[in-house]
Amino acid sequence: MIGETTFDRVLIRGGGALLALIWIAPLAYAVWAAFHPPAFEARFELMAPLTLDNFASAWSQAPFARYFLNTILLVTMILSAQLVLCTLAAFAFARLEFPGKTFLFTLILMQLLVMPDILLVENYKTMRALGLVDTIIAIGLPYFASGFAIFLLRQTFMTIPKELDEAARVEGCSLLGLLWRVYVPLGKPAMLAFGLVSVSHHWNNFLWPLIITNSVETRPLTVGLSIFATTDSGTEWAVINAATLMTSAPLLLGFLLFQRQFVQSFMRAGIK
Amino acid sequence: MKLLNVFLATSALTLFASQANAVDLEFYFPVAVGGAAADTIQSLTEEYMANNEGVKIDAIYTGSYADTTTKAITAVRGGNAPQLIISLSTDMYTFIDEDMIVAWDNYLTEDEQKNWIGGFYPAFMANSQTEGKTWGIPFQRSTPVLYWNKEAFKAAGLDPEKGPANWAEMVEMGKKLTVKDASGNVTQWGVHIPSSGFPSWLWTGIVAGNGGLLADDTGKNVNFNSDAAVGALEALVSLSSKDGVMAPGILDWGGTPKAFFEGQAAMIWTTTGNLTNVRTNAPFDFGVGFLPGLKQNGAPTGGGNFYLLKGSTDEELQAAADFVKWATAPEQAAKWTIATGYVAPRPDVWETETMKDYVKGFPQALVARDQLDYAVAELSTFEGPKVTQLLNSALESAITGQKSPKEALDGAQAEADAILKAYH
Repeated sequence: MIGETTFDRVLIRGGGALLALIWIAPLAYAVWAAFHPPAFEARFELMAPLTLDNFASAWSQAPFARYFLNTILLVTMILSAQLVLCTLAAFAFARLEFPGKTFLFTLILMQLLVMPDILLVENYKTMRALGLVDTIIAIGLPYFASGFAIFLLRQTFMTIPKELDEAARVEGCSLLGLLWRVYVPLGKPAMLAFGLVSVSHHWNNFLWPLIITNSVETRPLTVGLSIFATTDSGTEWAVINAATLMTSAPLLLGFLLFQRQFVQSFMRAGIK
Repeated sequence: MKLLNVFLATSALTLFASQANAVDLEFYFPVAVGGAAADTIQSLTEEYMANNEGVKIDAIYTGSYADTTTKAITAVRGGNAPQLIISLSTDMYTFIDEDMIVAWDNYLTEDEQKNWIGGFYPAFMANSQTEGKTWGIPFQRSTPVLYWNKEAFKAAGLDPEKGPANWAEMVEMGKKLTVKDASGNVTQWGVHIPSSGFPSWLWTGIVAGNGGLLADDTGKNVNFNSDAAVGALEALVSLSSKDGVMAPGILDWGGTPKAFFEGQAAMIWTTTGNLTNVRTNAPFDFGVGFLPGLKQNGAPTGGGNFYLLKGSTDEELQAAADFVKWATAPEQAAKWTIATGYVAPRPDVWETETMKDYVKGFPQALVARDQLDYAVAELSTFEGPKVTQLLNSALESAITGQKSPKEALDGAQAEADAILKAYH
């Protein structure tokens, strides 16, 4: 193995630091603008006065408490439904034999290739036929059977040694018991990784929730944030940044707290 | 005026009393001027419902104009169209093309067609009528004006009470107002005409001031490279390149009021939708004036209209039309104008006591109204988004110096002709 020279180390660390800096810059700006009076939006003075007014004004401009509740309900509902449905489906595709298996799996894979935006009108028609327009369920329903989750979990389940499966069967484990006792525990890293992708995607999703919801009682945070799109009267960066920080704070905090677990599960699940 | 209101209200009441069954209406509206405006619309609809039993209006705030259009088109395609939406006045041809709106004329009596429709400022109706029919009712309408910093004028030895009357004066004043520090960097520019995103809007005003029009009222013909248009673009480009009174490059739209408040620019061009914002936040006295024209006064109109959407019963659409008649009536329109800074769309609104009081304390609000006499339609054609976008790109390429104004506009004209050929 070739030894790492000081120069290499400087280069690697320096490059990493530079990338990190570029990545953090927008966030750092958001924090700066959110905690200072609007006069300091574009003036960076170390001694600029700190303030929480921007948060207060953002909070008072929209019913954020309700939006938070809606978003949390939404992502919890979607993730639970996805985990249950997709684990069952993935297990079937990985370990069971049934007619049309390959065809069905191809269909599910095709879901990965279709841009969700193309389906907006069709999905809207379906929700209308079901009488679900303007409900939180309607925001989540089209995403319950996630092709990505089925694919990811199937691949994970396929890598689980057949011996474990057979040993459990010999011990008299039922099919569902097998799934619960063998496959789910071993598939956890993949599920965790998928959970993060799913939660962050639906936390930030905008277009579909905007179209399908009509009232404060159902709208998620992202749609609530759009109230600050005030093109005719000039942009209040301070307030926008405060609102944006507020809405993304739970995700950021969650990621910082569980950083190690997330990174590990991503490495194990092999997705980036 | 009061009497007329009472009469209108009672006639509306009797009209509804005769319709026994309840009507449920959905109404999508965007707001482009800050959160409080949405509350004003909510309270207007609530007031209307309280006075009109049997009508239920669900006013749905739908974010920006673009979001509203997306949501409305999806709802129409999905068979669940709202009865009423507010969308950009320039969307008219797009909506007609999509076959998703109905003309207001079917829901108005002959008298209303004449007196109610006829009661709006003609400048606003230019973007609301085509082929002899009325498709949009002006509501949140604006027009750009020039704001100037009186303190900066005083410091430059100019009369702080007098803004520029024409383009040449603006350039001349701009030269005096452009301030440089010891090392030669500009600390205050004379004028700031934003050009990010949709430069075509303000540029329409410069063209009108140069005696030109960009499109006719069929929505099928554009005139981007007329002498007036080329001259207007050359004048705009010269502000940075020759006169040295405006910062070079693309200037941000959203940051314009900020640049004004912080003294980075002594004169700015922006919408009247900003009046309330500037009034609250400018740390100095400011003046408001007409857009200075190259040859004459000229400005575009902008903003949103009410549209009636296809896909509901005649009874529902009639109820929606009645609500709009009420919402644009003087008292209601006055409330809306004061809350937002949008230009009241009818002369009779300005006659109300509420408006008179407001204008007394804030005469700057009158400038936009008076400018309407010289206003032209905002660029609106079939395939509107595409045509406007290619014009915007052409303007940006001229402003950043990649192409000469003539070259950029000739290109845009050829592209637009190719798109609009399908409609001839």
